[in-house]
Amino acid sequence: MSKRITVDPISRIEGHLRVDVEVENGSVSNAWASSTMWRGIERILTGRDPREAWLFTQRFCGVCTTVHAMASVRSVEDALQLEIPLNAQYIRNLILIAHAMHDHIVHFYHLSALDFVDILQIPKADPAKTSSLIEGLSPWTGNSKHVMKAAQDKVKAVAASGQLGIFTNGYWGHPAMKLSPEVNLLAFAHYLQALDYQRRALGVVAMLGSKTPHIQNLTVGGVANAINLDSQGTLNMDRLAMIKQGLDEVIPFIQQVYLPDVCAIAAMYPEWLTYGAGVTNYMAAPDLPLDSKGTQFDLPGGTLIDGKLTTFKTAADPIFRKEVVEDVAHAYYEGKDALHPWKGETNPAYNEWDANGKYSWVKAPRFQGKPIQVGPLAQVLIGYKQGHPLTVKWTNAALATMSKIGGRTFTIDSLHSTMGRHVARAIRAAMLTELADKHWTLLVNNIAKGDLAIHNQPDFPSGTIEGVGTHEAPRGLLSHWVVVKGGKIDNYQAVVPSTWNASPRDKNGVRGPYEASLMQNPIANPEQPLEVLRTIHSFDPCLACAVHTYDATGKQIVRVKAL
Amino acid sequence: MKRILIGGIGNVLMGDDGVGPYLARTLDARYQFSEGVQVVDFGTPGLDFVVHIAGLDALILVDAVDNGKPAGTVTTYRRSDILASPVPMRLDPHQPALKESILIADLDGSGPKDVTLVGISGQSYTFNTPLNESVRKAVDDAIEVVLRELEQYGVICTPKEGGTPDVWWEAQGSCEAPAR
Repeated sequence: MSKRITVDPISRIEGHLRVDVEVENGSVSNAWASSTMWRGIERILTGRDPREAWLFTQRFCGVCTTVHAMASVRSVEDALQLEIPLNAQYIRNLILIAHAMHDHIVHFYHLSALDFVDILQIPKADPAKTSSLIEGLSPWTGNSKHVMKAAQDKVKAVAASGQLGIFTNGYWGHPAMKLSPEVNLLAFAHYLQALDYQRRALGVVAMLGSKTPHIQNLTVGGVANAINLDSQGTLNMDRLAMIKQGLDEVIPFIQQVYLPDVCAIAAMYPEWLTYGAGVTNYMAAPDLPLDSKGTQFDLPGGTLIDGKLTTFKTAADPIFRKEVVEDVAHAYYEGKDALHPWKGETNPAYNEWDANGKYSWVKAPRFQGKPIQVGPLAQVLIGYKQGHPLTVKWTNAALATMSKIGGRTFTIDSLHSTMGRHVARAIRAAMLTELADKHWTLLVNNIAKGDLAIHNQPDFPSGTIEGVGTHEAPRGLLSHWVVVKGGKIDNYQAVVPSTWNASPRDKNGVRGPYEASLMQNPIANPEQPLEVLRTIHSFDPCLACAVHTYDATGKQIVRVKAL
Repeated sequence: MKRILIGGIGNVLMGDDGVGPYLARTLDARYQFSEGVQVVDFGTPGLDFVVHIAGLDALILVDAVDNGKPAGTVTTYRRSDILASPVPMRLDPHQPALKESILIADLDGSGPKDVTLVGISGQSYTFNTPLNESVRKAVDDAIEVVLRELEQYGVICTPKEGGTPDVWWEAQGSCEAPAR
C-alpha cells in the first residue's frame, strides 16, 4: 500500500517550503517540492533608481541579506560595463568570504547536524573515550575530556530541567540514527563551540559592512569604505588588524573541527553517500574577482552536464546570459512559454495545489532546457573536474579523512548524494579559509602601494541597457537580471539558488533537484520522515524568510494519508 | 551598566510585517538612550538572532503579531510566553527562529534573562504595500510600552530634536538616477 506524506511547516502566513512524497514499500516513489507563498519581489523594483535596488533586494531574505545586495550592484555594474576598483573588489570579497564561512558553519551545526546526531544518546557517553576518539585526527585544542564532560553536563542539565525545548523538534531515537554515544557527544560539543566561531565570522562582515544584518557599505561602482590608514572612523590599520584577527580565529575551527566532523559523520553514514543524488547536472558562477574588469577569479565556475565540463570565463558568461529560462508550466503564474529573465513576467495565477497541474510559487529555471543543481557541491565538482588546485587539495583531503575513518575508499563519485552536499560545503569552507588570508593580504598590499580608490561613478545612458550580476552564494549560484531604461529599472528578476534547487517540474514533466533527490530515499516510519528532512536540509534551502510574524502556537506539520 | 537591545523584526516589503523595523527606526530618530542601549532594525533573521542577543541583560523586540485581536492592538509577551509552545520542526532551515535562538543562546549561557516582545496585531501582509493606518497609528502606543520597559531598567530616554526616521522603503522612487 502506498502513502502520501505532506511535510508542511506552515504557519498562518504562507511562505514556506512544502514537500509531498509518496512512499511505497518503504521508499519514496514520487516527490513534489513547492513554495507556498508568492514573492513577486521583483515587481517592487520597477521604476526605481538602479543605484538603490540593492537596499531593497537586501530585504528579500533575512538570512541571505548580503548576497542579494552584492548580486544587485553587480547586475547594474554589468549593464553599465563599469569597472570596480581593486580595493572595492577585495573588500567585497572579504565580506563574501566571511559571510560564507559563517553561513556554512551555522548550516551544518545548527541547522542540520541534528538530523544525524541524537542528543538523547549523549548522557550515556564516556567523555574520556570521546576525547580519545579524535586524538591524532585533529590538532584542535577544544577536544579535551573536560570539554566533553562540560558539554555532556549541559545536556544532562537541560534534560533534568524538563526543558528539552531546543531538542524536541527532531526525531530522536529514530531507527535511522546510528552514531555511538561518544560521537554524538563530540558533535554536540562542537555544536556549542560553533556558536562562538560563527559569531566571530559575522563580526568580520560587520566590521567591513559597517552593520549587520544589513550591510551599509555597498554602492554601484564600488564600496563606501573610505580608506585612510592614519584616520579614525575609516578603514585604517587598526581596523584591518581586527579583521585579520577575526578571520584567524575562525580559520582553525573550519580546518580542524568542521571539516573533520563532516567527514566523520559521512564515513559513519555511508548509505547517505548513496542516496539523494537527484539532478546530476551542475552549475556554479566563478567568484572572488581578482581584477577590476572581472576576468580572473579565485573560485571556479562553469557547468557539468551529463558529465561534460564547460568552464565559465566571466561571472556572467555569454553562455549563461543566453541559455537561462524560467518555465511556469507547473508554477502559479500566467503564461506557457519559458521566458528569459530579462523578458520574465511575474503575474500570479493561483489554484489549489495540484500534483498534475500547477503546484508551486517557485518558477522552474532551466539551463539549455535542463534542470540544474546549484550549491557548494556544484562548485566543488566543477572545480575538481577543472583541476582547480585549491578545490583538488581540499577535496582530496576530505576524501582521505573519510576513507581513514570509514576503513574503505571513498571517491569523488560518492559526493553525488545527500551527504555529499554536506561534505562539499565543508570543503568549500576550507577553501575559503585560505582565500580569506589571501584577499586580506591583497587588500593590505594594494593600499600600501598608495591606491586608495574605492568607487567609480556610474553614468546612465538615456537608452535601454541590460545586465546580469552573479554571486556564488553559500546556497549556490545567485543571479540578478536587470533592464534599465533611461536611468530607471524597467524589469528585474532574481533567480536565486533555491529557485534552481526547489524548482517544480517543467513543461516536459522533468523533476527539479529537490524532487529528484528524494526519489528512492528509504522511509523507515512515515509518521517521522527523518529521511526527507536529511535530503532536503542537505541543500540548505531558503524560501521562507520573506515574512516574519510572531506566532504563539505550535502547528502540526506532518500529514500522512493512505492512497 | 545594563546591556539592552531593542529590535524591530519584520519584512519592510510586506505590509504590516514591516511595523517592527518601522518602529525601531522611529524610536531611534526620536530618542537618545543612556549607555548600553542599542536599537536595531533586524529585518527577518533566522538563527542569526543568536549572534545579536548573546550577552544581553534584556532583549525587547517589536514585531507584528497574529493573535486574532483587532489590527493595531498592542500586546506584551514575556520570555515564558514565547517559550511556552514547542519549537516547530524546520523544513526550510531559515524559518524565522526567535524561540530557537533564545534556547540555543541559553545553552552556552549567553541568552538574555529578560525577553519582552511588544506585539502589534497586523491586518494584512501583502507584498509591496504600506503599513495599514490602524497599525501605523499604534506605533506611538507601542513606543510608550517600550519606553516604560526601558524605565524599569533605569535607562534614561532623552527626546531628540527634529529627528526624522530613515524609513527609505516608504519613499516612492525618491531619487531617480540622472539620465544622460
